[in-house]
Amino acid sequence: MRWGMLIDLKKCVGCHACTVACQNENHLPLAMKYCKVYKVGPEGEYPNLTSYNIPIACMHCQEAPCVEGCPSGASHHREDGTVSINPKKCVGCRFCLLVCPYGVRHMNKETGAVEKCTLCVERLETGEVTRCTETCQLKARHVGDLDDPDSELVRIIHKENARPLYEHLGTKPSIYYIMP
Amino acid sequence: MSEYKKVACHFCHMNCGMVAQVEDGVITKVTGDPEHPFNQGAQCPRGASALDHLNHPNRINFPLKRVGNRGAGQFERVSWEEALGDITAKLVELKDTYGAETLSSLGGTNRTDDFARRRFFNLFGSPNVAHTAPVCWIPNFLVEAASYGWAAFDPEIMNTRCVVIWGHNPATSYLPEMRGLLQAKENGAKIIVIDPIFSETAAKADLWLPVRPGSDNALALAWLNVIITEGLYDYEFVEEWTVGFEELSERVESYTPEWAEEKTGVSAELIAQAARMYAAAKPACIQWGVATDQFGRGSSAGAQARAALRIITGNLDVPGGDVMPGPHPEFITDWEMELNELLPESQRQKQLGADKFKLNTWPGYQLLTDNMVRVWGKSIPAEWFCEANAPMLFRAMITSQPYPVKACIVLANNPLVSYANSRLVYQALKSLDLLVVMDYWMTPSALLADYVLPAASWLERPVMTTTYGVSDWLIASERAIEPMFERKTDVDFWRELGLRLGQAEYWPWENDEEIFQYRLAPIGLETDSYEEFVQCYRMAFAPREYRKYQERGVATPSGKVELKSSILEQLGYDPLPHYVEPPFGSEARPEQAKAYPLTLVAGGGFMPFFHSEHREVTRIRLLRPYPRVAINPELAKKMSIHSNEWVWIETPTGRVKQQAFVTSAVAPDVIQAERGWWFPEKPTVDPELMGVFESNINVCLDDDPDTCDEACGSWCTRAVMCRIRKVGEGD
Ligand code: SF4
Ligand code: SF4
Ligand code: SF4
Repeated sequence: MRWGMLIDLKKCVGCHACTVACQNENHLPLAMKYCKVYKVGPEGEYPNLTSYNIPIACMHCQEAPCVEGCPSGASHHREDGTVSINPKKCVGCRFCLLVCPYGVRHMNKETGAVEKCTLCVERLETGEVTRCTETCQLKARHVGDLDDPDSELVRIIHKENARPLYEHLGTKPSIYYIMP
Repeated sequence: MSEYKKVACHFCHMNCGMVAQVEDGVITKVTGDPEHPFNQGAQCPRGASALDHLNHPNRINFPLKRVGNRGAGQFERVSWEEALGDITAKLVELKDTYGAETLSSLGGTNRTDDFARRRFFNLFGSPNVAHTAPVCWIPNFLVEAASYGWAAFDPEIMNTRCVVIWGHNPATSYLPEMRGLLQAKENGAKIIVIDPIFSETAAKADLWLPVRPGSDNALALAWLNVIITEGLYDYEFVEEWTVGFEELSERVESYTPEWAEEKTGVSAELIAQAARMYAAAKPACIQWGVATDQFGRGSSAGAQARAALRIITGNLDVPGGDVMPGPHPEFITDWEMELNELLPESQRQKQLGADKFKLNTWPGYQLLTDNMVRVWGKSIPAEWFCEANAPMLFRAMITSQPYPVKACIVLANNPLVSYANSRLVYQALKSLDLLVVMDYWMTPSALLADYVLPAASWLERPVMTTTYGVSDWLIASERAIEPMFERKTDVDFWRELGLRLGQAEYWPWENDEEIFQYRLAPIGLETDSYEEFVQCYRMAFAPREYRKYQERGVATPSGKVELKSSILEQLGYDPLPHYVEPPFGSEARPEQAKAYPLTLVAGGGFMPFFHSEHREVTRIRLLRPYPRVAINPELAKKMSIHSNEWVWIETPTGRVKQQAFVTSAVAPDVIQAERGWWFPEKPTVDPELMGVFESNINVCLDDDPDTCDEACGSWCTRAVMCRIRKVGEGD
């Protein structure tokens, strides 16, 4: 079993609902965002333009530099494939902030531990979808088991030829994108 | 023990369904309701911040009475008893001195139950009730109603082949609607977006027509020209069901695509191609966009052209086309609750603006109502559709002409930010003897009030979604908790004020739920309470019928769909579509335009805000901390302006500053400024008033009635000559 997510950039309008809902779900400090949404473009010259939005949070890499580089063992893979941080073990050395190529880890100054997107595993375990998937008005997000070839998630990934972001870095992310 | 309440978000018109988890009277969680047809379990960032809004430390929780000078920002807490007692005494005194028409009211969009306001006003005897109606939906609705007896505002996007999104950006305003649009696209519908800005919606379109701001009417006329000249119209429908086609054909003969190319900046070829794409798709629909109500002079002329497009293409009230819902057949609508018949003719005549802007005031409203009642059995509410004209109202407050307007009750509205010509509005509010504001927050306008009253928000009140009673469906939602502190609903407020003013026999209900229960009864579901209806049924959609004109007839004087509108003619307006020069462009004012070479688009909703709301909610504010003005890279380079630098935006009316946002989404000679800006964190004392004159783009807009739409009095926000310069040090 390996939890994964698919984000459809043809649908995302960059509304930041996922950002805000995630902050509320995880009771994050005001400025901390597990999930950020970036606007790309408009590229080109008026009126020949293209533009899209891309939400970015932890990619739950299978070959995760943050896990490999963590000196305290706080960052680890769970059996469900997600990357998790044990706050009790985290010593706040910030090494993972340097090695994560996606820039999705944050130091929580209140607790002194590093945090990031958890893929809402507690919700997934009770049969709910992640909070960002639930809140998305455009239905741009899907979660599911990447190891299950019959899951809707895997089916759409194949059909739409969805790919992870910066695949060439070789971290084998569990988050896929349908490109615009 | 947890309870789950079916509530509805009031942060925008979608009224997304939500589920509130309540534990011992405290709301612990608010999530999207998966059973709700619009949002299907989702929430936008505003909806996701529901609890921040409910529990915000800045919320107004008790009635406040001004103690210092007006504008000094000093208030003391008083009881509801005292506040309502004082207000009543003052209203009686003013009515005795000046007549009932001296009392006015300004309302907001949604968030209130306006039938209660109109009921109170009709009983009190004043016709001077206003919203921002002329710049929001009403001109389009009423022009359509004059042509075909109701507005076709329910386009069936899911079953259509082509959607025209005209002056509308649902990707930042109505996300559930945007989801529907993208689904329609997946189903093969073509999406045409008409917008001077490369909007989030334009980015997903099949065809984007980048028109020059304010030139939409020219484009619509050219589409009519192409469709008629090339014979792409629906012969049968035109022949059987319309009057005025020949006059229309003659009228649009000169509006060729070449003529429109010069006005719109879009090539004649592309204009014709788009017109053919729209006309060839069967069915097709045109979605209403608020921008098309905001061109000032010529707004209703543009609406006439779009109405004619719907008609001649045969898309009126067909599956997948522009469906006219009509009123809910059983539910007691807003119109039925308003008691308009109790306002004497002599008072109707005093409605401010009724002698100039006749379509959305008593003269036009009466004609439309007579026809609607004949065909539908019901009319549209007087709220929104029959109101005093706000620019005329503000002038009456200042000059006492044609008579003194001395009192105003404001709900869900921040007039200093929501109307054009903010400095004039400021002068108007300061001229009043009595200003009452009911709101969630202390706003710049509330700071000028004599009484500020605490409003209950959507988790604390039931919400009935009926589009003001002009659609044939309704969705009912309950309150999650009783209002916190001493907050009340607007229905409570009007009722309690009414009771004090001798209106008791007309307010037999104790609260909002009793009223809704009364209004639902004719549906015949025999529920014992409003809450039971919400829990067991929640919705009542009348069975969808198409081509209703075949059986019912058309609610126009001729009983046909009128391409040449006899109602507009009777009111003294041009009954056919026609071109009108945008009031603040180089065409109308060539001399002035030399000093103001750019065109300002002062509008467009943007996430995460709704109009002037939500600036206090920190999480939301952090997504967009300061106002942004969009500037093309070429222009920015020419003026050495970099992103995030503060820029003055100047028009002949005024100037404000916003932060530069350099983007090729706007043309090099166009800027788009954000609207609705004020800063709750800034000093409250007059004249600072929370920075209301610093970045609020309405300071730059003129509302001179002679520049407003001829029929509906809409002021111009979308194409205004301007110039910019970088804010210098100490500047
Ligand atoms: S909620 Fe959905 S549409 Fe909005 S930014 Fe997130 S992924 Fe995009
Ligand atoms: S995205 Fe960054 S934080 Fe997440 S697993 Fe990969 S390397 Fe680690
Ligand atoms: S504000 Fe957002 S959640 Fe609320 S009704 Fe509108 S779209 Fe729905």
